[in-house]
Amino acid sequence: MKVWTIAAAVALLALPLLGVDDYYLHLLIMAGLFYLLAAGMSLLLATGQLNLGHTAFFGIGAYTSGLLGLHFGISPLWTMPAAAVFTAFVGYLLGRLTLKLRGAYFVLVTVGFAEVIRLIATNWMDLTQGPMGLPGVPPFNLGAERWTLVSKRDFYYLMAALVAGTLFLTARLLGSGVGRALAAIQSNESLAESSGISAYSHTMLALVVSCALAGVAGGFYAHYITFLSPELFGFHNTVTMAVMVVAGGQGTVLGPAVGSLVFTFVPEFLRMAAFYRMLLYGVILLLVVMFMPRGLVHYLQALVRRHGPAPAVGAASDLSLGTGVADARGATALSLRRVTVRFGGLAAVDDLSLGLGRGEILALIGPNGAGKSTAFNVVTGFQPADAGHVEFDGADITGLPPYRIAERGLVRMFQRTSVFPEASALDNVLTACHRLARTRLWELVLMTRAQREEEVRHRRRAQALLGFVGLGARAAEAAKNLSCGEQRLLGLAIALAPDPSVLLLDEPAAGLNAVETAELMRLIEAIRGHGLSVLLVEHDMKLVMGLCDRIVVLNYGVKIAEGTPAEIQRHPEVIRAYLGSGEILADA
Amino acid sequence: MWAELVQHVVNGLIVGGGYALMGIGLTLIFGIMRVVNFAHGEFFMLGAFFLFTLFSLWGLNFFLASLASVLGVAFVGAIVERLVLRRLRFAPIEIPMLATVALSVILQNAAILIWDPSPKTIKHVFSPLPLTLGPIHVVSIRVFAGLVAVALIVGSHLLIQRTRIGRAMRATFQDTDMARLAGVDVDRVYMFTFAFGAALAGASGALLGAVFWVYPAMGDLAALKSFAVVIMGGLGNFLGAIVGGLLLGVSESLGAGYISSGYKDAIGFILIILLLLWRPQGLFGKKVLPR
Repeated sequence: MKVWTIAAAVALLALPLLGVDDYYLHLLIMAGLFYLLAAGMSLLLATGQLNLGHTAFFGIGAYTSGLLGLHFGISPLWTMPAAAVFTAFVGYLLGRLTLKLRGAYFVLVTVGFAEVIRLIATNWMDLTQGPMGLPGVPPFNLGAERWTLVSKRDFYYLMAALVAGTLFLTARLLGSGVGRALAAIQSNESLAESSGISAYSHTMLALVVSCALAGVAGGFYAHYITFLSPELFGFHNTVTMAVMVVAGGQGTVLGPAVGSLVFTFVPEFLRMAAFYRMLLYGVILLLVVMFMPRGLVHYLQALVRRHGPAPAVGAASDLSLGTGVADARGATALSLRRVTVRFGGLAAVDDLSLGLGRGEILALIGPNGAGKSTAFNVVTGFQPADAGHVEFDGADITGLPPYRIAERGLVRMFQRTSVFPEASALDNVLTACHRLARTRLWELVLMTRAQREEEVRHRRRAQALLGFVGLGARAAEAAKNLSCGEQRLLGLAIALAPDPSVLLLDEPAAGLNAVETAELMRLIEAIRGHGLSVLLVEHDMKLVMGLCDRIVVLNYGVKIAEGTPAEIQRHPEVIRAYLGSGEILADA
Repeated sequence: MWAELVQHVVNGLIVGGGYALMGIGLTLIFGIMRVVNFAHGEFFMLGAFFLFTLFSLWGLNFFLASLASVLGVAFVGAIVERLVLRRLRFAPIEIPMLATVALSVILQNAAILIWDPSPKTIKHVFSPLPLTLGPIHVVSIRVFAGLVAVALIVGSHLLIQRTRIGRAMRATFQDTDMARLAGVDVDRVYMFTFAFGAALAGASGALLGAVFWVYPAMGDLAALKSFAVVIMGGLGNFLGAIVGGLLLGVSESLGAGYISSGYKDAIGFILIILLLLWRPQGLFGKKVLPR
């Protein structure tokens, strides 16, 4: 793949020197322009958010740069960055308002946003001259007269530089922890948040970067075409970008580039069809979406891919678990104080207080609907409490968002959706190492030594964690291909990846056979051996009675008993709550 | 002063009825099929052009032609569902969405080829004289459009609540897998839902096409407005679509009357942005907790 990419790049750079017709150079320039737009859209789509108002940012960038040049005679050298900053700012504002929306809502609101901007550009005559458009935007001069770009070849090389920069930027973002975080948000937002990844700030980052790229593209367009009109905001532009992203291959670095190249030339070739051009274009769009939804790059890769050995990750020795425990103060790791959660009139959790001692394994048991999962959701920030407090390491964490709680070292494992299904097992764990990352965004983009070393360190640690749970040999397998029991173990490794001091396990043994359960018990005991405290919800009484130091029993949201396994087994109210069957005694 | 206000409100309600029809169609399709139908505006346009062809060109009876137009749009919708959307049912949300975008390009350009781009009017059978009630004047075709919209909204409600297919639709809406297990033919429900949603858009197009102009791109704005309607009312929410539609119609009418007609078409989305400021958690119901 790499060889082909380099060959293609060299060929593209040599084109103008080979005397290629200006018309084709223009098309290539436009392909580059749309690549900047499609790359941004693709970056945001990596989080699962489709911005179908992306052309608004292109237009805003074009008008910003064009108007600054037209009215103040500022060089594009300054107006283009200004356009990038301004569109990024507008994107930030839009994100503040709309990033809480998901899926179709976000799509429709962005469509509406672009329409509002189009109407403003059409109606604000003083600024934009409305539908007539603004001619006479100054061409591209880079500070001095002799540095003015005139020929197509000049613009071609400028665009080539912009494209190269964007390729580099998106490759760095998508190929690093940021890319893993974005994919994690799309794949399983709750799990991402509970691994310490803020869905909001990562989506915002992708949005702001994509808007800045659109601003640059707009600035380039303004000084290249030297004419601005509200047509820039037309929905068809966004459609073109979206098709380039999907047809090229979402989530890949090269996808938007291939897509924009192909879908700049396809409509041109369709000119031969005269009146039927747009109809045919629509048909091609439909066929692409229906039959190549994974994108061209995917198929190209399948053609040239050779299966080599997986990259070596080095010695898997350094587990570094429970490193935060030593600094923690107080004998109680986690405590709930009179927590109440109501759903309508029903109290799912009623005035619940409990404390988890440091290094303790505590089980929360009770019949179905007793409020165990709700209690977990309150502790980990997914469910607000109507009353009461949750304290972790002596600090009040009530009402903090899930990722903040995870950042402090309180991490949960989910009952059902405990993995990122599409990613490899290793990437699953690596994604969850997010909390430990210390490098900043610029270090990541510039690939500094510290950043590369950190990446290697995290890879080793992820491999070590997989080895710890017994999945060392399955590192390269996609999580969705693992068996149910293996997925549970992977979920455990993911929960351990942020190096928590307290671990919450929601029915870890559900669906496991006796052998797997015994292995799980051994693992939980080993986790405690690293100094971690464990709070678990479980129905498997063998596990609960054999592993836990203490047990808290809930029934209808109320704590009805608390004590050692032996005490709980004899507790009359507990036996009554479990239908008086005595199954607790029998199982243990 | 008051008379003018009431006049604006009445005009707004009539147009809003059309928006509500569009919105109901869109919201049903989304609620049951999880597809944002970007070709909704083209079904609206087809409703108007079918009426134009059957009535103005071929001279069919106006009411018969209206009925046939709506059925025709339903038929197109059923074909689209069968040939395109059914194959994309398990794809990520943006794939069927982009497929409907492509369909909108296809349908709109087919309309340009068939009927040419110039705007047309439907010379309907109603008297051009307005009906007068006190200080309020409404052209009779508008009264007709308003009444039909109300009838269709009530009819849709009854269809969903009282009929067998309606019950199957509600079951599919709540849980597709459970509905299938309970013996609901989900494929048929999807096809019916899409055809029905398209028919409502087509009816709206035929009604408003008879009031205003008929041209191939007429669906663009209509689609945008139905998006605004369903976001206001909540995607998948039947009552929300009605309230959203009427609200949009009235606020546009008032906005055009008292503020600026140039920004009339932006009002829906400005309303949404204000709504988001007011309810930043979004407009839909409670969020689903992880397990």
